[in-house]
Amino acid sequence: MSSEQIEQKSYEMPPRDGFTVTHFITVADIDRSADFYEKIFGGRILSRGDSKGASGHILIANTWLIVNVGGGPTPDKPEIILETPPDLNRLNSFLNLRVADIWACYKEWGDKGAFFLTEPLPNSDGWEWRGYMRDPDGYLIEVGQYTQLAIDWFNKHS
Amino acid sequence: MTAVQVDQKSYEMPPREGFTVAHFLTVADIDRSARYYEKVFGARILSLGDGNAPAYLQLANIWMILNVGGGPTPDKPTVTLSVPDPNHINSFMNFRVADIQACYELWKSRGAEFITAPIPKYGEIRCYIRDPDGYIIEVGQSTDLTYG
Repeated sequence: MSSEQIEQKSYEMPPRDGFTVTHFITVADIDRSADFYEKIFGGRILSRGDSKGASGHILIANTWLIVNVGGGPTPDKPEIILETPPDLNRLNSFLNLRVADIWACYKEWGDKGAFFLTEPLPNSDGWEWRGYMRDPDGYLIEVGQYTQLAIDWFNKHS
Repeated sequence: MTAVQVDQKSYEMPPREGFTVAHFLTVADIDRSARYYEKVFGARILSLGDGNAPAYLQLANIWMILNVGGGPTPDKPTVTLSVPDPNHINSFMNFRVADIQACYELWKSRGAEFITAPIPKYGEIRCYIRDPDGYIIEVGQSTDLTYG
């Protein structure tokens, strides 16, 4: 399938050109979160931040997670307060891990201490199997495996 | 199949091994959000969802999945998805850029609403964008941190 790898652009941190997309989460404890993403997902901890306000950085698959404690406002976002999720049942956005083998991930990550809301369930649209996890601050993490139907669709739309 | 390379490893969507990270946003209007990320940041729209599925975009090293709110569903029985309260934020996309002034001018010219112009802070130069649903996007260029 190497012929399908048409445009394999390489992304770095910090980027030397263009931009690289990372995911920021407000956490209660930088060390605890860094350890969680390292232990469960095999992330690589690049920094654990410092007491002067620097964030922790974790390389996780194709992106970087940037974690820091809450606070604000700051001059560059004068009305915004960063806080850990106040209501775990009302959410807006989340990390979505698309996996090759959801049952293997469910077992491996569960064995390492990850908490799943349910075991993987088939979605009614026939498109995927899905399960959700909570990280130490309660952030929801979707774990999903596409069915062959979806894989065929992606191959037509790439 | 689309793929990107990070740290000398290739990541695909859908993944054939391991996992690939995507970012899910609850949006009010899938089309509006997809067009916004395409126009401002050059994201590639793989699908607009055709009215009954999420939109899929590839944006630099990640994939974005956009859908309207709702729930709960059997696999998250207590969770409801909604668009954000714009002033109380927990997580956001953080774009690390090589040249913040150039990005500020380019993205602004394409319709991005910046909260302020870039401001130096904590070893980086930073500013924030509001997307159509009020999500903030950090835009930052490191000046003296190794992993900015």
